[in-house]
Amino acid sequence: MNAMNEKKINNNKKKCEFEFCKVCNLNHDKGHRHKYFPNHKKSLSAFLSRFQSKLADIRFFLKNPSVLRPEHASRNRFWCVFCDADIDEISSSFACANAINHLASEDHVKNLKHFLWKYGGEMNHMDAYRILEADVAKWEKNCKSLVNEAAPSNDRSNMLQVGPSNDIRNELKNKNINDFENCTFDPIKSNLSNGVMPLHYFTNEYQISHSGLSADTNVGPFVHDAIFSIPADAWISNDLAVDWNSQQPLPYKNLISSSDLSYRGVSQGYQGGGMVNGVTSSQGSHNITQTSATPPKKAGGNVHTGGPPPWFEATEENHLSAELKPISSSFISLSNKPGKKLNPKRVGAAWAERRKIELEMEKRGEIVKSDCDDNWLPNFGRVWQSGSRKESRKEFEKEKQKLPKVESHSEMPLKIKPYISKRMRRDASESE
Amino acid sequence: MSYVLTTLTKKKEIDSIIRDTIDKVLVLRFGRASDPGCLHLDDLLSKSAREVSKFANIALVDIDSEDVQVYIKYFDISLIPSTIFFFNAHHMKMDSGTADHTKWIGAFHTKQDFIDVVEAIFRGAMKGKMIVNCPLPQERIPKYQLLYKDL
Repeated sequence: MNAMNEKKINNNKKKCEFEFCKVCNLNHDKGHRHKYFPNHKKSLSAFLSRFQSKLADIRFFLKNPSVLRPEHASRNRFWCVFCDADIDEISSSFACANAINHLASEDHVKNLKHFLWKYGGEMNHMDAYRILEADVAKWEKNCKSLVNEAAPSNDRSNMLQVGPSNDIRNELKNKNINDFENCTFDPIKSNLSNGVMPLHYFTNEYQISHSGLSADTNVGPFVHDAIFSIPADAWISNDLAVDWNSQQPLPYKNLISSSDLSYRGVSQGYQGGGMVNGVTSSQGSHNITQTSATPPKKAGGNVHTGGPPPWFEATEENHLSAELKPISSSFISLSNKPGKKLNPKRVGAAWAERRKIELEMEKRGEIVKSDCDDNWLPNFGRVWQSGSRKESRKEFEKEKQKLPKVESHSEMPLKIKPYISKRMRRDASESE
Repeated sequence: MSYVLTTLTKKKEIDSIIRDTIDKVLVLRFGRASDPGCLHLDDLLSKSAREVSKFANIALVDIDSEDVQVYIKYFDISLIPSTIFFFNAHHMKMDSGTADHTKWIGAFHTKQDFIDVVEAIFRGAMKGKMIVNCPLPQERIPKYQLLYKDL
């Protein structure tokens, strides 16, 4: 026992200086222990999934390189969370070129390893956050061929550019800004011209899936509004290999779905159309989660059956009749009899306990002898008095009694006479 | 203001509210609804009623009602608005550097001042003190001249 205590003491002696955890966005002094806390793990998974989605977009361009026009270049920035660096595309000729090069670089890998060590990510998934050199080589080849193609036919290249450049703009913008209204992208046109983004589902399938969803109990695939730009879906699909026909639940991290009336929460990781944590529903308002269907309680009753509300249960602990002194007068002497929960020495504790008992008895219907007559007054410490408050009350009552006595003396000689109207009196006096 | 706070016009009502407010501070404002000083205070009270609701009850007493005159004499109310604090049917005094510790005369500068005062009373009462010190700095306490007794 002692050895264990000593160990504990030793462990607690290590005091770490404050560090900033950029995943949780807070300062802590727990040192290396911080990364094992559940809150941190939660924040980490959210953090990484957000970054993943951005990487997914870059991977798209890795596979489908397209030329980057200079006017769009300034908008395409990419912040690498591992390196804490902004990567812009000002001098690149292809979409996400700088980003791709960065993600393949040695420095980035080093930073990535350091990050995972510091914040406790899983080391086996490291490849998800970088680009392999083989892929980069392939990409460069594709870029060169693009350039060669672009040279002879400018029109074609323009058409080629319309789709992707619009994509970059929309995709990168929509990630941070929640406006999918700016989606000037025409999905059908781009699909035909590019050939890089096949429709992953047919429109009637989409509708069917939606109508079928309300009936299905376990609908995994995320539901999204029709406004979402299709390229966004395509990128996500690329990343996660969706099989739309199968209606199977996506291997998606933070997807929430429950039975029957399903609450379709789209997680933070999905930022395709800029919807973050939104509740999306296609038909009606399926924003309700069903609570666990417990059998109706018959014992207690509920609002509908007219049962008593749970807060009215009489608390047995307040029945301190044995401990209370018998009090003859209705007024509380300043005794400090103990209550059970609140500070027993608080002002008026005894009064409060007694009063509570009285109120409960009244609730139950028993007639309580009411100590409150018309002349009851609270103990009041008067302004100019000295001595205890009870005395001041007695003083006041004495004063009160003096006044009516004085009044009654003057009233005594008055006899009660019936009322005679003025006219009558006038008449009487005139007649006299 | 009085749609948020109850206005009491009868002695019995005052009695019952004093007796029935258990383990909470009872704030009784004595005044009349037409007086501007009272209006100012009532405004503050009604706005902060909800915030202090866990440890305080607030009620207004109309001093123009007949039934209540006995209390006005008993509590020695000569300036309005006057606020008296009770805890478990015990009267709580507060020393705010003024002549009269038994009540608070005048309004408050801000909601927060009022809440601070009620909190001080509550804390003192829970410790068993029947007189507490005022947490407000002197400039925020309304000053007044008390009429001396028997004048």
